[in-house]
Amino acid sequence: MQPLIKKLVEAYGPSGYEGQVRELVRAEIRSLPDYTSVDPLGNLIAVLKKKTKSGRKVMLSAHLDEIGVMVSHIDERGFARFVNLGGVSPLTCVGGRVRFASGVTGVIGLDARRDDPGKPPTLAELFIDFGAASRADCPVKVGDAAGFYRPMETIGEHRLVAKSLDDRIGVAILIEVMRQLKNSPHEVAFVFSVQEEVGLRGAGTAAFGLDAEVGIAVDVTRTGDTPNGPKMAVNLGGGPAIKVRDSGMLADPRVKDLLVQRAREANLPAQLEILEAGTTDAAAMQIARGGLPAGCVSIPTRYLHTPSEMVDLRDVEGVVALLVQTLQKPIEL
Amino acid sequence: MDLLAHLKDLCTAPGISGYEGRARDLIRTAWAPLTDELHVDRLGSLWAIRRGTAAEPRPRLMLAAHMDAIGLMVTLLEGEFLRVVAVGGIDARVMPGQPVTVHGRRDLPGVVVQPPAFLLPKASREGVVPVSELLVDVGLPAALVAEQVRVGDVISLAQPPRELQGGLLAANRLDNRASVAAVTACLDELRARPPAWDVVAVATVQEEVTLGGAITAAFALEPQLAIAIDVTFGAGGGVRDFPDRTFALGSGPALGLGPNIHPKLHAALKATAERLEMPYTLEAMPQHSGTDAFGLQVARAGIPTMVVSLPLRNMHTPVEIVALKDVQRVGRLLAEFIGALTPDFMESLRLED
Repeated sequence: MQPLIKKLVEAYGPSGYEGQVRELVRAEIRSLPDYTSVDPLGNLIAVLKKKTKSGRKVMLSAHLDEIGVMVSHIDERGFARFVNLGGVSPLTCVGGRVRFASGVTGVIGLDARRDDPGKPPTLAELFIDFGAASRADCPVKVGDAAGFYRPMETIGEHRLVAKSLDDRIGVAILIEVMRQLKNSPHEVAFVFSVQEEVGLRGAGTAAFGLDAEVGIAVDVTRTGDTPNGPKMAVNLGGGPAIKVRDSGMLADPRVKDLLVQRAREANLPAQLEILEAGTTDAAAMQIARGGLPAGCVSIPTRYLHTPSEMVDLRDVEGVVALLVQTLQKPIEL
Repeated sequence: MDLLAHLKDLCTAPGISGYEGRARDLIRTAWAPLTDELHVDRLGSLWAIRRGTAAEPRPRLMLAAHMDAIGLMVTLLEGEFLRVVAVGGIDARVMPGQPVTVHGRRDLPGVVVQPPAFLLPKASREGVVPVSELLVDVGLPAALVAEQVRVGDVISLAQPPRELQGGLLAANRLDNRASVAAVTACLDELRARPPAWDVVAVATVQEEVTLGGAITAAFALEPQLAIAIDVTFGAGGGVRDFPDRTFALGSGPALGLGPNIHPKLHAALKATAERLEMPYTLEAMPQHSGTDAFGLQVARAGIPTMVVSLPLRNMHTPVEIVALKDVQRVGRLLAEFIGALTPDFMESLRLED
């Protein structure tokens, strides 16, 4: 999966501007689904048709979008001020690089004169330098959106470090599941959703449109295993994390229990996840229409929303295996 | 019906948000003989349908009382202790020393404990110890805890109900089982007074976390009218400085007013209370009503919505207190309103006139 993951994480696609990464996914899955569509918000929906009468309609969702920035002002010397698209921390911006849809890159600098230099900066105290000499020379305009930019690297034996593993790793997993899933009795709708980082907006409309019977999001979660980390029972390399709750939802206990059972049957190590800050597409699916039993399989990830998010490839493979295992068998809730 | 016994019974079921099963079973038993048809929807909300007498297609009224309750959830096994997180708005000030039940592989009695101050992070040594620093002790050695308890198990508060003087009841989970009992009383009164409208009493799930039960049930049921029944802040206990935001126990239903409320539906409920010479109060709800009504109102193409509240002291603590006669009155008010609904009542709600 590594070449696929590299392609996906290095692609451009901040919230609302998912076109490039959507085309990349569409090309990857070309002949796999029975049919594919792009809905009015830009969600890419690939459907494998139902094979048996007793099969369920299942919605899987991984979001295409990544956090990023949007240019809000350009000064006379060609420096740009910006606002955030999604949860961007000023701490991880300084010295970072951003890349725009056109491929133009810029470097983030920090005001030297600030009200309180002892405090961490705010986004308003940061700017993007394009190497321009003047406003006229600046290669971007107000409203242009950028993603952060770093190449992916392998660290240690099993670990990947990259930007946008949130949630391109979920996108890669959905593609891999689509490749491996041969004998599912269910209708499976693979939703590559938009605008998750700005309020789960794509998944909500996709869930309304699909009217599925079960929903499973595939997204990243934090881990409790870093120095002075959060008190959390999820470890990197500990296996797929089956969500119990996060700050946006209580996962449906029936979905959670089904995933736990399928992991046990396949002898897959798995962890139970309680995420105290953050949520996923599953929260939007749960309250779509008349309600959808919804849960989430998470990929344990360190340093979320920084340009150096870290996952363990064994966890990634575990999530693929757990989803394939779950989708190949009956789903009784 | 014995309202006190019914309410005490309802308060014994844990029914933590997302895990409402046992509460639903009790409510189903109480509502089944009073209604024509029961249904559990996709997220677990219970619908009890009382068919009306008007010709088809009959208009439909939804009563929404949430059955879920606040509680705790295990986040981490720390040796023989459990670290926890709140489900819903737990009041950390009253948690240390509380008896709880840990719903593990079996139900385990436990107590909430706080570590000595010198062992806490500096920021938590003075004042209220946050839930994140509290632990639950079930008395088992670490190895047995790991056998019986998993991350994600829910924990319910276990104070038994206590009858106080003056017709008051102190108990866990009166938010919102008191309203569920009021709906039971309403359905009971409607037995003798067949309504023209279909009435769907819904015990909703997950109000304390997302309003998800009300949002989804209202979409699925598509009612013409919706009334949320919930608790509001009772006067007393150090809240004397907020006469506009608290309501005396025994002062009757508090009728909500504000953007979340349809003004003409409010007026109709108020007129009903006046016709009955029932005491009532008015509750200003300038923004989010803090109830299921916030989700109900914007379901589908929009639903005229009302909030009827019960005064309750010590909200979100294990000693919530209500007056029995308020519960009875809310039930009666709803029944009288519903019983008098004519098939063309919706005409009277038109806002352009």
